[in-house]
Amino acid sequence: MKTCISCGMPMTKPSDFPLEDESKDYCVYCARPDGSMQSYSEKLAGMTGFLIRTQGLDEEAARQLAARNMAKLPAWKTTAAD
Amino acid sequence: MKKTSRQLQKEQTREFLLKTAYEYFSEHGILNTRMSDIAQAAGVSHGTVFLHFATQEALVTEVVETYCGKIALRTHELAKSCTSIQEVLSAHLEGIQEYEPFYTRLVIENRLLPPAARDAWINIQSAVSFHFGRVLERTRGEKQVAALPVSALFNLWIGLIHHYLANGDLFAPDGKVLERHGDTLIEYYMKLIHYETEEEKHGREAHESQKGEMLLRAPWREAGRSAF
Repeated sequence: MKTCISCGMPMTKPSDFPLEDESKDYCVYCARPDGSMQSYSEKLAGMTGFLIRTQGLDEEAARQLAARNMAKLPAWKTTAAD
Repeated sequence: MKKTSRQLQKEQTREFLLKTAYEYFSEHGILNTRMSDIAQAAGVSHGTVFLHFATQEALVTEVVETYCGKIALRTHELAKSCTSIQEVLSAHLEGIQEYEPFYTRLVIENRLLPPAARDAWINIQSAVSFHFGRVLERTRGEKQVAALPVSALFNLWIGLIHHYLANGDLFAPDGKVLERHGDTLIEYYMKLIHYETEEEKHGREAHESQKGEMLLRAPWREAGRSAF
C-alpha cells in the first residue's frame, strides 16, 4: 500500500490519486487541479485550514501542529529543517 | 542486504517490548508506569529495555505513535466508504473499540504526554474529522443536519464519547463502555443534530400541545395529589 509522501494518507484506490494516476506518490488532496504536487506553503495552509475547520483549533496551534506533522513526512523532511 | 540473525532478534525484542508496554499501559496507565515495570512484564532485564529505548519518554512516544497510527489507519479504513454521518460514527466507534483500554488511557492522559506522542493522539481525531467533514459537506444540501460549523458538530461528538470513556468506571464498570453505550450514544447524537423541517416542527408542536392538554386533565392533578 502506498502512503502519500506529502500528508501520510494511505492510498488504496484510484480516486485517492491525482487524476487517478497511480504512479504518483502523493494523494489527490495534496495535488493542484492540474495534478502537480502542492508546495510546502500551500500544503501547510491547507492542513492548518483543515484542523481549524473540522476540529476548531486555534490558528497558531493548528499551524504548529501541521508543521510538526509535515516535518515527519518524506516530501518535507528537508524543507521543514531549513 | 540480508539482515543477520542478531539484527532480526534485536528487532523482534523491540517489537515485543512495544507490545508489552502497550498492554501494560492499557491496564495500568501510561505515566504511572516505570521502565522496570515493562522489563518485569516482558521478562527481560532493566538494561535490555534501556538498550532499545534510552529514556522513558522515548518508550512512551514510540508506543503511543505506533498504536495511534494503527488506530488512525483502522478508523480510516472503516470510514472511507461511509456515506452518512451515522455510518462514520459507527466506524469511529468500531475503530477505537478494538483498542478501548489503551484509547481510554489516552483520553485521560493525553495532555501530559511528550509532545510527539500528543501529536499522534490528535492525528487520530484528524482521521475521524476528515471523514466526518467529508460526509457532512455532502449531506448539507439535504438539510438533514443542524446548521452548525463542522468543528462544533465534531467536537460535540468527541466530547460526548470521551466523557463516557474517561469516566468508564461510572458508566460501565466492566470496562466495555462502547459495547454497552455506543449504539445509544450514536442514536442520541443523531437526534440532537437532526435538522427539523417545517413539517416535523408542526408535527412536534401539535404532539406537545396535545400532551400538555392531557396532563392538565390528568386525574391526579384534579385530585390535588401533584407534588409539583
